[in-house]
Amino acid sequence: MSSKESCRIELRTAIRQLSDRCLYSASKWAAEQLVGIEQDPAKFTPSNTRFQRGSSSIRRRFRTNEITSTPPTGVAYVSTPVMEEDEAIHGDFYLLAKSYFDCREYRRAAHVLRDQTGKKSVFLRCYALYLAGEKRKEEEMIELEGPLGKSDAVNRELVSLERELATLCKNNTIDPFGLYLYGLVLKEKGNENLARKVLVESVNSYPWNWSAWSELQSLCTTVDILNGLNLSNHWMKEFFLASIYQELRMHNESLSKYENLQGMFTFSNYIQAQIAKARYSLREFEQVEVIFEDLLRNDPYRVEDMDTYSNVLYTKECFSALSYLAHRVIMTDKYRPESCCIIGNYYSLKGQHEKSVVYFRRALKLNKNYLSAWTLMGHEYVEMKNTPAAVDAYRRAVDINPRDYRAWYGLGQAYEMMGMPHYALHYFRKSVFFQPIDSRLWIAMAQCYESEQLHMLEEAIKCYKRAANCNDTEAIALHRLAMLHRELDQPEEAAFYYKKDLERMEAEEREGPNLVEALMFLATHYKTQKKFEEAEVYCTRLLDYTGPERETAKSLLRGMRIAQSGFPSMDVEHFHP
Amino acid sequence: MAGVVKAPGAFAITPHKVSVCILVNIYASPSQISVPFPFSSVSQHNRLGLYLLALTKSCDDILEPKLDQLINQLREIGGLLDHWLTDHVTSRLSSLSSPDDLFNFFNELRETLGGPDSGVMEDDQVILDPNSNLGMFLRRCILAFNLLTFEGICHLLTNIGIYCKEAISSCSSYELRRVDDSGNDLESLSEYENMDLNLVFKKINEEMEARKRATEQVSFHLHLPKELSTLVEDIEVFADPKSEHNDKGRESSSYASGELLRDVDPNGGVFLRTNWQIQGYLMEQADAIEKHGSSFTLNAFELTLRQLQKLAPELHRVHFLRYLNNLYHDDYFSALENLHRYFDYSAGTEGFDFVPPAGCNSFGRYEIALLCLGMMHFHFGHPKKALEVLTEAVRVAQQHSNDTCLAYTLAAICSLLSEIGFSTTSGILGSPFSPMISVGTSLSVQQQLFVLLKGSLKRAESLKLKQLVAANHLAMAKFDLTHVQRPLLSFGPKTSMKLRTCPIIVCKELRSGYHLISEFCCEGSTMTADGAFSTAWLKNLQKPLGSLVLSQDNGSRNNSNPFLFFTQPSSIPGSVMQLVGSSYLHRATAWEIYGSAPLARVNALVYATCFADASSSSDAALVHVKLIQHLAVFKGYKEAFAALKTAEEKFLCVSKSRILILKLQLLHERALHRGHLKLAQQVCDELGVLASSVTAVDMELKTEASLRHARTLLAAKQFSQAAAVAHSLFCMCYKFNLQVESATVLLLLAEIHMKSGNAVVGLPYALASLSYCQTFNLDLLRASATLTLAELWLSLGSNHAKTALTLLHGAFPMILGHGGLELCARAYITEAKCYLSDPSFSVSRNPELVLDPLRQAADELQALEHHELMAEAFYLMAIVFDKLGQPEQREEAASSFKNHVMSLDHPHDVEDPIQSDTLLNA
Repeated sequence: MSSKESCRIELRTAIRQLSDRCLYSASKWAAEQLVGIEQDPAKFTPSNTRFQRGSSSIRRRFRTNEITSTPPTGVAYVSTPVMEEDEAIHGDFYLLAKSYFDCREYRRAAHVLRDQTGKKSVFLRCYALYLAGEKRKEEEMIELEGPLGKSDAVNRELVSLERELATLCKNNTIDPFGLYLYGLVLKEKGNENLARKVLVESVNSYPWNWSAWSELQSLCTTVDILNGLNLSNHWMKEFFLASIYQELRMHNESLSKYENLQGMFTFSNYIQAQIAKARYSLREFEQVEVIFEDLLRNDPYRVEDMDTYSNVLYTKECFSALSYLAHRVIMTDKYRPESCCIIGNYYSLKGQHEKSVVYFRRALKLNKNYLSAWTLMGHEYVEMKNTPAAVDAYRRAVDINPRDYRAWYGLGQAYEMMGMPHYALHYFRKSVFFQPIDSRLWIAMAQCYESEQLHMLEEAIKCYKRAANCNDTEAIALHRLAMLHRELDQPEEAAFYYKKDLERMEAEEREGPNLVEALMFLATHYKTQKKFEEAEVYCTRLLDYTGPERETAKSLLRGMRIAQSGFPSMDVEHFHP
Repeated sequence: MAGVVKAPGAFAITPHKVSVCILVNIYASPSQISVPFPFSSVSQHNRLGLYLLALTKSCDDILEPKLDQLINQLREIGGLLDHWLTDHVTSRLSSLSSPDDLFNFFNELRETLGGPDSGVMEDDQVILDPNSNLGMFLRRCILAFNLLTFEGICHLLTNIGIYCKEAISSCSSYELRRVDDSGNDLESLSEYENMDLNLVFKKINEEMEARKRATEQVSFHLHLPKELSTLVEDIEVFADPKSEHNDKGRESSSYASGELLRDVDPNGGVFLRTNWQIQGYLMEQADAIEKHGSSFTLNAFELTLRQLQKLAPELHRVHFLRYLNNLYHDDYFSALENLHRYFDYSAGTEGFDFVPPAGCNSFGRYEIALLCLGMMHFHFGHPKKALEVLTEAVRVAQQHSNDTCLAYTLAAICSLLSEIGFSTTSGILGSPFSPMISVGTSLSVQQQLFVLLKGSLKRAESLKLKQLVAANHLAMAKFDLTHVQRPLLSFGPKTSMKLRTCPIIVCKELRSGYHLISEFCCEGSTMTADGAFSTAWLKNLQKPLGSLVLSQDNGSRNNSNPFLFFTQPSSIPGSVMQLVGSSYLHRATAWEIYGSAPLARVNALVYATCFADASSSSDAALVHVKLIQHLAVFKGYKEAFAALKTAEEKFLCVSKSRILILKLQLLHERALHRGHLKLAQQVCDELGVLASSVTAVDMELKTEASLRHARTLLAAKQFSQAAAVAHSLFCMCYKFNLQVESATVLLLLAEIHMKSGNAVVGLPYALASLSYCQTFNLDLLRASATLTLAELWLSLGSNHAKTALTLLHGAFPMILGHGGLELCARAYITEAKCYLSDPSFSVSRNPELVLDPLRQAADELQALEHHELMAEAFYLMAIVFDKLGQPEQREEAASSFKNHVMSLDHPHDVEDPIQSDTLLNA
């Protein structure tokens, strides 16, 4: 990997080139990373460090595996981006076109560049046309919306753009930016394979365009596709891999990539947020909260990724923090889907589900494919006992991303609520298929099997076993397993699980009816097994509790003493039915 | 297209409607003369009027024609005027070049309409009544236009541009085609002449003119619409005999889907139909899929659906159609996925009975989802799972007091129980049934089924679900056919109940299905959707040729026309026809079981001729199977195989298995007869493989396979093995309550013991079989059991020959009347043997008494190529001739005997084309 300084130089040039081509979000991203690179202590100036203050202490606290070396990315194959610039004569037109573009007058910008042949001009013209088509498409979508939903509004520029870019591509007179645009057009036309190929070519020859990487990521829906990509080595590839691992639910891999990257881009807010998101998926809420607090201190007007933060606050039931966050984002930008989602979360926490639904709806109006908003809205409808609406919302989430196990789980829950456990099983099965390590899903499925309508206890036991194997924090599974085995008249297995449950409760120092029940069962079980010593231990422990169990324990003890003292109790038992 | 109006079924203004408006404007241009400018006669004028009426009605239908299609129709309607009309329409359309032109156009239209107070009018002024059909249409168009936003008008303008451009671009190709197809066109023209349409038109015109003369003072335009529309409907019914039922499936499945595909093609203009239209289209397609099963092309339709979904993501019914499509193409996972998706989205509340969601708080109809899921599992052969799901459906339906769904679910459970062999339902049919089965759970499956059937029937009757009632009656008949009615209570005072099935009850149940059709005939008129009618009529105008070809390629279709039901083609829904048809199938089966071959054949023939169009492909295949089996038994293999060949062509890819099974059956029987035991065993094994297919075990087929296995072993003279197979088969039949099959198996056991020389052991089996036959009224089987009994007696010794003969003579009427060739021959031979072994009988005194049956037997066996029996017949003949002292004839008979024995021993010299290719196929 190149040194920090060379990285910095690469990024600086790239930002200039990207914003020159009006690829603003990519240049924004690059600039964020640029500032994220740790400053050379020798060149410290107060203004430089202000941006990076305060975060390092927290980071050190949570850095579990200290990164000692720079990530082993190998040698990057391109160093500083050098692009030939168009001749100066046409530069004037370019400037005018760019100004039009910046004022969002896309067609005008394209018109100014109609006769220009430089690569840069051609790119900007095509890009402007593409955006003009997109804008018109959005408008038409609303104009043409019929009773059955959206109409077939399409970007009318796509056909001509594809033709032009394909010719350029064939003549080999296309630059990486043109390739990016070509990939974009191809993707929209549904030609995904070619789009992937073109985008890979684009990022291989110009890796600093994050937009191209993101498009590529959206086209890689499985690990197999990802492994099939022929990507050259570059540190940007690490960013891409980290991001796509997260998308493919390989959270640990993603986390380790990001932590590696953090060695170089120590102060990158982006990386910090991504780490938070990965940890959120791993359900490490405490750490996520700290990271987000830190992030907000450095970047108080950030809206991106704040919905994840609000989810954490929601699960931790931090009313005031959530309201503070909601207030902050709404002052920053009211019409961001994330903002609406945060407010929705807040109302949901307050128990005002109708209002919450209103805000989730608004979020979905702003972004129809906003996955978590659909799922969260489904939760709200469940709370409001409006199961059909909940089912609808969950189903939309699932259709946007079929791997969203939360929505599958929600669907299952909704159907279970309606008293259709058999139907619900289908959804629970889907959900555990995509997230087999979550004990809650297995427990939900087991409860379904256990329900009085189905009463399929064997299957329920299988599910509980799975749940017990994957770190069941609430310790429901063991207890239920013991109960079920007892119900099925399998005392050996029941005793096994009661014992395990007992050990666990002892380790966590929990008390309660479950403990008494376990002790009770074990005492009687061992007594019937004639293992009086064990039985006695449990009986004595029972004596510490009040209630009828204590009396039973006493009588058990008494019975055992009699049996042990040599009376032929065997015969007596024989006469009992 | 309207961005504002979003109610389902909104009337959207499309380019096609604009051109209809132009035509209406021509038809009713505000002039002072009774026959406006371009028309030369009143009849010409009226003809356009009729055409316009049909057009406006069909505007609510699924497909809107393109401009070139409209022009073609105009050409046929307009006669001499066509050029003027098409020119006018196209020029008017192309003159609409700015939004303002559209505004002016619709303003002009408004002038065509008379005011609300235009009751009094001069008689020769043409003014459209605002309340007439055409007037209403214009008003709807104008209203829809006025509701458009400016953006909407812009879109309409672009669409009109595309509409015109397409017509122009296709015009040249159209001309070309016209030249190419001139022959066809000529024919179609003559066909058109023959269709009596003109005649009717003339009649109408005359009638109207007469009426006009009679009521001079009333302008006929004011008076006309109602009369005219009824008349038009008459024409449609009249002109429609083929299109509705004949080409609907094949034609519309390919034609319409292609058409729609073209319409929704994103580059070809934005002619999205209204909600109703697409729902109607989907309904039609659903029917087509169900009818044609897997012959319906999977991918083409899937493509259409995908496009539809892209265009109308809120139209969830598409998912249901996808489910159906996948279901009939045996794609389990996609079917499951789409079923769940459909019900997740719509909660079962979408479709024609859809009520707009007034507050989303109403509970969805998820019990329907369960019902569908259960049926799906049933279809894919997971009976246990299906039963679980259906049980849940029953519970949920009860919970939400959805009685209709409950009735259907019960019917589904009944058919599941009756079609798939459950040895026990305990643990599956649990608590939710307790309200219905109050007797307790100690009942056998059959008893539970009976109770369920009764309950379901009662429920359906009280809910007035006619089709379900009929279906339940059929199920009941089926149950009665094969099950003895036992008292349900095993305690208490027992009424003297005969343990017999009752053919009368079966017949009654089957008959009650007919009420259904009569009821549908009565209310048929209210059920027609005139939109579909009009389009069908318009389509028919252009496609007489197509239907002609279709009716030629299938002879039976021509016969169907004079049949009673077809005088009112679409007043009876296809599903009703299917039900009534299947009652005929049931009858055929019933008679088959009861043993009346002619009646079984007649019923099968009725089905094949009258219900072929409405039947699903699997039912049609079944009927063919029945007929071919009949042929094989009564006419021999040659004819049967010839018929099989045509059947194979007809059901090329559809339900191949049924035809395949038949083929295997025939091959097996022939191989047995010819003595090709190896081949027989091979075929038998193949049959066994089919029985244990991936989709659930078919009990019927499984029984048959092992029955045939036992037969083969018997023919190979491996008696103990054959007996073992038959015995285990009997155990299975007993376990699954297959009582009819039990009788057959018992008979087979008797035969095995007889052939192994253990006649005494065989007797009780034959008697048991006889008693089974008596209980179930299996007359033919009973006759053949009697025959076996006679043979058993005979083999006990010559002193029992008299008994045997009496038994035989008792069974003769049944055997000769209804028995197949083999049975008759066997009876004849046994008779001869009886006489011969009777010590008091002398051959020389009465030779014909023996020779005649033997000759008959030999004749009949010829067709079956049954070497073994033939050899026996000739052997006996030779003996008789020997005794009579006729050495020449004796030698002849002896040589035939030798031939047959030889070919029995060396079966492989006979060439066999069919056998080889089957084994390759299979």
